Amino acid sequence: MGRARRLADFVAGAGIYALLAAGIVLALAFVPGFAAPENLANVLTQSAALALVAIGQTFVIVGGMIDLSVGQLLGLTVVLVCALTDGSAAALPAVLLALAATGIGVGLAHGWLVNRLQIEPLILTFGSLSILQGAIFAFTDRSVGRAPEALAWLANGRIGALPVAGLALILCALLAHVILRHTRFGLRLIAVGSDAGSARRAGVDVSRIRLLAFVLSALGAVLGGLIVAGRLGIGYPNAGQGFELDAIVAAVLGGASLAGGKGSIAGTVAAVLLLGVISNSLNLLEVSAFVQTSAKGLIVVVAILATGWRPRTLAVSPS
Amino acid sequence: MMAARPRAALLDRDALSRWAIMLVLVALYAAAVAVSSAFLDPTYLGNIVRQAAPVGIAAIGTTLVMIVGCIDLSIGAIISLTAVLCAVLMEGNAERVPLAVSVTLAAGAGLGAINGALVCASRASSFILTLGSGLAIYGLTQIYSGGTARGIVAPGFREFFNQRIGDVLPVLALALLTLALLLEALLRTTRFGRHLYLIGSNREAARLAGLPVAGVTFACYVISGLFAALGGIAVLARSGVSSTFTGRGFEFDALAAIVLGGTVFSGGRGSVLGTVAGVLVLFIAFNMVNILGLNYNLQLVLKGAIIIAASAAYARLGAER
Repeated sequence: MGRARRLADFVAGAGIYALLAAGIVLALAFVPGFAAPENLANVLTQSAALALVAIGQTFVIVGGMIDLSVGQLLGLTVVLVCALTDGSAAALPAVLLALAATGIGVGLAHGWLVNRLQIEPLILTFGSLSILQGAIFAFTDRSVGRAPEALAWLANGRIGALPVAGLALILCALLAHVILRHTRFGLRLIAVGSDAGSARRAGVDVSRIRLLAFVLSALGAVLGGLIVAGRLGIGYPNAGQGFELDAIVAAVLGGASLAGGKGSIAGTVAAVLLLGVISNSLNLLEVSAFVQTSAKGLIVVVAILATGWRPRTLAVSPS
Repeated sequence: MMAARPRAALLDRDALSRWAIMLVLVALYAAAVAVSSAFLDPTYLGNIVRQAAPVGIAAIGTTLVMIVGCIDLSIGAIISLTAVLCAVLMEGNAERVPLAVSVTLAAGAGLGAINGALVCASRASSFILTLGSGLAIYGLTQIYSGGTARGIVAPGFREFFNQRIGDVLPVLALALLTLALLLEALLRTTRFGRHLYLIGSNREAARLAGLPVAGVTFACYVISGLFAALGGIAVLARSGVSSTFTGRGFEFDALAAIVLGGTVFSGGRGSVLGTVAGVLVLFIAFNMVNILGLNYNLQLVLKGAIIIAASAAYARLGAER
C-alpha cells in the first residue's frame, strides 16, 4: 500500500524531470548557441534568484499555505542592500544581518497572523505585498545606491567554470531538501499540509510549524534579493515584481499541490530550470518579449495539464 | 455580543459575514465624513462609485467563480485585452461602438469559456490554471497592442458613460449597481444560483446528487470572463486610454474585495452585494488617503492593512458564532 502510493507519487513527480530533459534536448538540438558552456552557466545564474524564492515558497505550499509577499520582499531587499551599503563592502555584514532580521520578522508576522487571527494566507500575504510595496516606494521611487562587489561576485562570478550563483543554488537546494525530507520539522510540515487537524491531534505544534515555514519563505526571498541586487548593481524598486507568481508556478510544476502536503525541492528546482531554459532559448531565438510572455503562459497551462494528474478528490479546488 | 446567545441561530454565519462588511462600510464612511465633509457631497460619492466601477464590475462576476469553489486569476489580463480590443475596434467612430462592444463582450465570454473548459477538464487547481491562462492572455495583449496604447475611443463614448443622471450618479456607477443587482437576483432566485451554492459547499456531494457540476462551473467562468470584458469597457470609458497595463493587478484587487465582502475561498458562501460593499470599502479608503493629502505609497500600506484587518475580523466573527 505504502509502496504503491510512493510509486504513484514518483510517476506523477517524474513529469517535471521528463519535461526538463525534453526542454534541454530540444534546446541543444535546435537553439544555436545554447550549448556553449558560457550560455549554460548563464542559464544557471539567471535561474538562481527565482530558484531561491521558489524553494522558500515550496515550504509554505507544502504546509498548505501560500506566500504572495515574496516578490516585494525581494524588491525591498534589493533596494535596502544597495541604498544602505552604497557599494561599501565594510557596511555589508551589518546590512546583511539587518536584512536577515527583516526577513525573519516578516515571516514571523505572517505566521503569527495566520495562527492567531486565522487569516487566509492568500489574502494575508496579498495584504502584506501591498504594505511592502508601499514601504519600498516610501523609501524611494527611483533606483538608489550601488551593490557591493561581493554581491556582484555572488550573482555573476565564477569559480573555475562554475557560476557562483549556481553553486549557491545547489547548496541551498541540498540544505532545503534535507530540511524538508530528513528533519522532524519537514515531516511535520508535510503532516500539517496534508491535514492540520490530524497533525494537531497527533501532538504536532501546528502554529510553530507554520511560523517556521513562513520564515523560510521570507529568507528565500531575501537571499534571492541579494542575487538580484548583485546582478542589477543598483537598487531598482520594481525588481521583485512577478517573482511571487513565478515561484508559485515553479513549485506547482515541480509537483507541489496547492492543497498542501505534497511538494519537493528537486522538483521545484527542475521547474525553475525548465522555465530558465525556455526563456533563454526564446531569447537566443530572438523571440520578442511579448511573444515570450504568451508562450510562458501557454507552457504553464500545458505543463500543468501534463503533470497535473492529482487525486480525484482535489479536482477543481482553488487551493 | 453574540456570547449572550451563542446557539440562537438568529444570524447564521452566512448572514453574519454579509452584515459584517456592511458594518465596516458604514463605520468607514462615518470615519470618512469625520475626516472631510466632502464625503457628504452626493456628487463626490457618485465619483467614488464611478472609480470603483471597473474593478467592481469584474469582481462581481468573479464572485460567482469563488462561490462555486474555484478562483479566476485571469481577469486582470482579460480586462487589459478587452480594453485594447474595444478601443481598436471603435477606430474613433461612433457608428462602430455597437460592433466594438459586442465583439469585446464575446471575446471576454470566449476567454472565460476557455478557462472554464480547462478547469473542468483537468484535475489541476484553478489557481494555477488561470494564473497560466492570465499570463498567456496578457502576452497576447502585448502582441496585439505592440506594448503601447492603441486604438481611438469614439467621440461620445466616454461622455455617455460619465454623464450624471440627475447631476449626481454617473452612468458608469449606475452600471455597476445595476449589474450587481442582476447577478444577486440570479444567485438568489434561480436554480442556477442554488446549484452554485450547493456545489461550492460540497462538490462531491453535489456530483453524487446528480447536479450539473461541470456545467455550472463552466458557466461561472463564462460569466467571470464576460464581466471582466465589461470591466475592460468600463476602464476604457473612465480613462479613455487603453494601454497594455490597464488591468494589471486588478485580479488581486478584485479578490481582496470579494473576500472582504464575505465570500470564502472554500466556496459555498458569499454574495455579490457583499463584493460591491468590499469594493466600496477599498475605494472610500483610497479617497480618504487622497483627501488627507497623503501619497500613493501610503495608499498601498493602507490597502494592505485594511485587507488584513478585515479578514482577521471575519475569522473572529466566524469563530464566535
